[in-house]
Amino acid sequence: MPSTALALTPGLSSFLKSLKTNPIDTSIENLVSLLKRRQIRHSRSCATATAYLLLRVVSACRTSESTKLIERVQSVGRRLMAAQPREMVVGNIVRRVLGLIRDEAEDDREAEFALSEAGSESQPQTPRAFDDASMPLDRDMLGMRSDGGDRSSRPPLTSMFSLLSHPEPENSLPSTPGSQSPNARLFSHGHTKDVRAEVLEGINEIIDELGQVDDQIAAYALDHIHSNEIILTHTSSTTVQKFLLKAAAKRKFTVIIAESFPNNHEATHATVSGNIVGDDENLSFDSFQKPLIAHGITVILIPDSAVFALMSRVNKVILGTHSVLANGGLVAAAGTRVIARAAKVHQTPVVVVSGVYKLSPVYPFDFDSLIEYGDASKVLPFEDGDLVDKIDVQNPIYDYVPAELVDLYITNLGGHAPSYLYRIVSDHYRKEDISF
Amino acid sequence: MGAKQKGGGSKPKANTADEVEDTLQAVVLADTFEPRFEPFTLDKPRCLLPLANTPIIEYTLEFLANAGVEEVFLYAGAHSDLLEKYINASKWRAASSPFKQFTFLKSTSASVGDVMRDLDGKHLITGDFIVVSGDVISNMPIEGALTKHRARREKDKNAIMTMVLREAGRNHRTKSSSVSPVFVIDPTKDRCLHYEEIDHHSDEGPARVNIDTEILLTTPELDIRQDLIDCSIDICTPDVLSLWSDSFDYQSPRKHYLFGVLKDYELNGKTIHTHIIKEDYAARVRNLKAYDAVSKDIISRWTYPLCPDTNLLPGHTYALRKSNLYQEQGVTLARSCVIGRRTVIGKGTSIGDKTTVRDTVLGRNCKIGRGVKLEGAYIWDGVTIGDNTSVTGAIIADGVVIGKNCSVAAGALLSYAVKIADGIAVEAGKRITKSRRDGSEAITDAKVVGADGEGREFIQGEDDDEDDDDDISVASSGLVYRNPEASLSSASISTLSSEMSDGSWPHSARSSFSDAEEQDNFHHDASVSIFDSLRDGVTADVVQLELVSLRMTANASDNQVRRAIVSSFMKYITQLMEGGKNAGVAVHDVFSTYREVVDRTLFDRNKDQKKDQVDFLLQLQMDLVHRSKGSNVLLFAAKELYELELVDEEAYEQWWNDERSSESEEMRNVRAQAQQFVEWLANAEEESSEEDEEEDDDDDEEESDDE
Repeated sequence: MPSTALALTPGLSSFLKSLKTNPIDTSIENLVSLLKRRQIRHSRSCATATAYLLLRVVSACRTSESTKLIERVQSVGRRLMAAQPREMVVGNIVRRVLGLIRDEAEDDREAEFALSEAGSESQPQTPRAFDDASMPLDRDMLGMRSDGGDRSSRPPLTSMFSLLSHPEPENSLPSTPGSQSPNARLFSHGHTKDVRAEVLEGINEIIDELGQVDDQIAAYALDHIHSNEIILTHTSSTTVQKFLLKAAAKRKFTVIIAESFPNNHEATHATVSGNIVGDDENLSFDSFQKPLIAHGITVILIPDSAVFALMSRVNKVILGTHSVLANGGLVAAAGTRVIARAAKVHQTPVVVVSGVYKLSPVYPFDFDSLIEYGDASKVLPFEDGDLVDKIDVQNPIYDYVPAELVDLYITNLGGHAPSYLYRIVSDHYRKEDISF
Repeated sequence: MGAKQKGGGSKPKANTADEVEDTLQAVVLADTFEPRFEPFTLDKPRCLLPLANTPIIEYTLEFLANAGVEEVFLYAGAHSDLLEKYINASKWRAASSPFKQFTFLKSTSASVGDVMRDLDGKHLITGDFIVVSGDVISNMPIEGALTKHRARREKDKNAIMTMVLREAGRNHRTKSSSVSPVFVIDPTKDRCLHYEEIDHHSDEGPARVNIDTEILLTTPELDIRQDLIDCSIDICTPDVLSLWSDSFDYQSPRKHYLFGVLKDYELNGKTIHTHIIKEDYAARVRNLKAYDAVSKDIISRWTYPLCPDTNLLPGHTYALRKSNLYQEQGVTLARSCVIGRRTVIGKGTSIGDKTTVRDTVLGRNCKIGRGVKLEGAYIWDGVTIGDNTSVTGAIIADGVVIGKNCSVAAGALLSYAVKIADGIAVEAGKRITKSRRDGSEAITDAKVVGADGEGREFIQGEDDDEDDDDDISVASSGLVYRNPEASLSSASISTLSSEMSDGSWPHSARSSFSDAEEQDNFHHDASVSIFDSLRDGVTADVVQLELVSLRMTANASDNQVRRAIVSSFMKYITQLMEGGKNAGVAVHDVFSTYREVVDRTLFDRNKDQKKDQVDFLLQLQMDLVHRSKGSNVLLFAAKELYELELVDEEAYEQWWNDERSSESEEMRNVRAQAQQFVEWLANAEEESSEEDEEEDDDDDEEESDDE
């Protein structure tokens, strides 16, 4: 219902509203065009929209067969990803939902084995005995993920464990298509719980995670920001702001913000001065939070070009990101690479704060294709007719920052080295979903 | 931009408070009634022409969807069947369309004014609405302008319209160069005080703008601006429509309507406001120059996110490469070809060895040979270009085949399916087409396209000059009388007009000699329009309405109106008779169907001196002097007029005795046959004079009571 005077332009909120009333195909089409028109942008909005849409898709899909459910989610996911391939979180969410469905399907199978084991011990299934042992743990982890950072020490442990169980996906792979679906069906007869219900619960957990992720990340702030440090950051990323605010509650430090002209400078200025114009993504949280200056933090706003000059005095660089790639590199607002590079020269540690949902299993073979080029008029005013006619203006919205320029990632699961990210990727996404 | 859009989309307070607000409606004028894309528009409506490989209308509808419009009324003009087919198959008609209601309206309108009046008559508009032409490209979020518009409305009911204008410096490729609009604006209130168009091609010496002294005296601050792109996005209130309806003669939304409403401010008190945007993109593909400029803007991403790689149409798979190169999947490029900057290449296109492509849009399934040079060209779908040919700055439509070793120079337009033989050089600015206005295929002109070629040169205005009466497509699409020199195509009309101006009219009661030209124009326009209507079988009401509007425009006298009616009726009757009809039947058909039209020109029913009726008969007589079987027709016409009670007995008598009706030999000849009828009338009158007179008296009394 975007028929209001002010909230005319369709966006995330209007989409979520219409989701309840519109038929499912309309909603899919709607989201595709919203993504195409860039009316839903930025990672969190895209992720939220995708998660809610998939929630609807799964609940509307009247089948208890996991293979059909997977097919359906895959086909929807492909369309969403084609609409805006550079919003990688869309793909991430789709993959996680697919993983959920597969997990549930396998769960069912396991339980079914437990039943059939009593009867006859089937020979080809022996490797799965190992699976049985690892699965509950994995599932436990899944639940924990949404609980937040308080148990942050656990994931590496599970991951170490699952390192041993690495061949597990391969084992389960050949068994997916043929023999299982009848089993699953047979099982769902006997069981009161539906695969779908489990999956829906899982998606709701993802949505919860999206809501809490910034606070979870911020919980690590005090471990990384110390008194009297000088912190440099870039753009008006909410994740970074929350991170700094959390530390500001206890400690006094200095923040230097590069204004990130031309695509984000207005928002950055607003963040610094505290006049935050309600953004979709932080609306659901306490968007009227006091700015850093209200906490007695010295905030210095600098143009992007001054970054190198100031870098020698900076103790730590904290960056937000658009998406994180499997190799430890990241795609972030234009200008990030310059900052990371300058930090490298000055041996300043670079910390990237990012929710796990931004972590994409995609390996960046072609960096250029990941970078979105935006509106040229932000660089050169369109009314300058003579120049418009004669020169090419390019306004990349993102930068690719290679892994070697980043020292530490802080996600809602804790801090990781860039070289370790592949592990989190394989914890969150099933191998068979990476390129679907 | 994104932040701003979202900023709007996330105010929960507004959401709840304004739920009662009407849905936002938009009117899309798919046809702007300007023959600017010829010869391409002979085969396709202009809004379906591809702009960077996407039909223009898609951008407009995308803009409306972006703006949150929920109800769209699309007015089609020429080729409405093609457009309807396209729209019905598009995503805008699907269940998932962002528009809750999408109405496709066909109309026989001949101008934007007619469309607006038609819209007013249909009572479809419920609240504030947006009017855009079907060729607007914009990524502007409309809410800023809309909020301001509504705020103004709250304060003042008379603020009826807000025009969106884009600031664009002194020189700009996207600005129109031939006609530049001048806006006189009161910047304190954003109010437009005066509007004028300066035609740079006119020979009337230095351009000037006439500003009313009143405006200068009453407004302390005044901006006179010529640096604005008029993107023809108007936010209107329903009052706008009624104003259109009030003035029959307004045709174009700017030159007539805006100018007129501003001028009549004293009279109607309505104000029109401007919303000048400094950010975001908004422009109109108003002519071929703008087509070129907007294409460049799209490719250079000024229109982001409306760029080729957004893939507006389902099935498009454009991806952006370095230096603004957009390429769809499934393109075959030879290893040694060079693809330069700012290029769009569609699916299935293959490019041969050592070919260089730069600043070019290539559609789908094109075959480009070896050693070809393409620079600044717009090549649509399915075009084949032979080896070693060069194309610079030309537009080449679907299915064109260009042979080897050809050269196509800047500004050349090759319309659908034209074939150019090997080794032919197409000169700059040449237009080559295969179809004619009536849709039939034109005769190939080997001089232009070579021995194996297909197509002929298209010359504006001279097209179809060897053609006879059967082509009426343009005439009926209404281009004729608004733009006589540009699209006067049919021989029938030209002969009609020449007949009119050649004929001597010694007795016509012209008020002064100076405006003779204007009256000639009226006569020509009116007779052509009536003649078309007769031929198309339009109802009397419509003919009447059209005639009235024309009369208002030219301030023509009744005498002229009658003259126009007579000449067009007689022309049509003659034509019917040539078609094998009996004179009596033809006369009866025409006069009985269009009795109303004639009736409305005769105002002397109650007077003794039947001046109007006599004048009508005289006009009839004079017109028939030049026609074959004139006397015969005159007799039937006289009889018919009597039977339809259009002309009274006394009038016949007065006419017969009028010296003008018998002053020359020709005149006397033509009325010879009518003599028996007049005599019979005189006798009959005497016989039944008493009864008739009584009845007449009754009628007279009634009518005078009415008055």
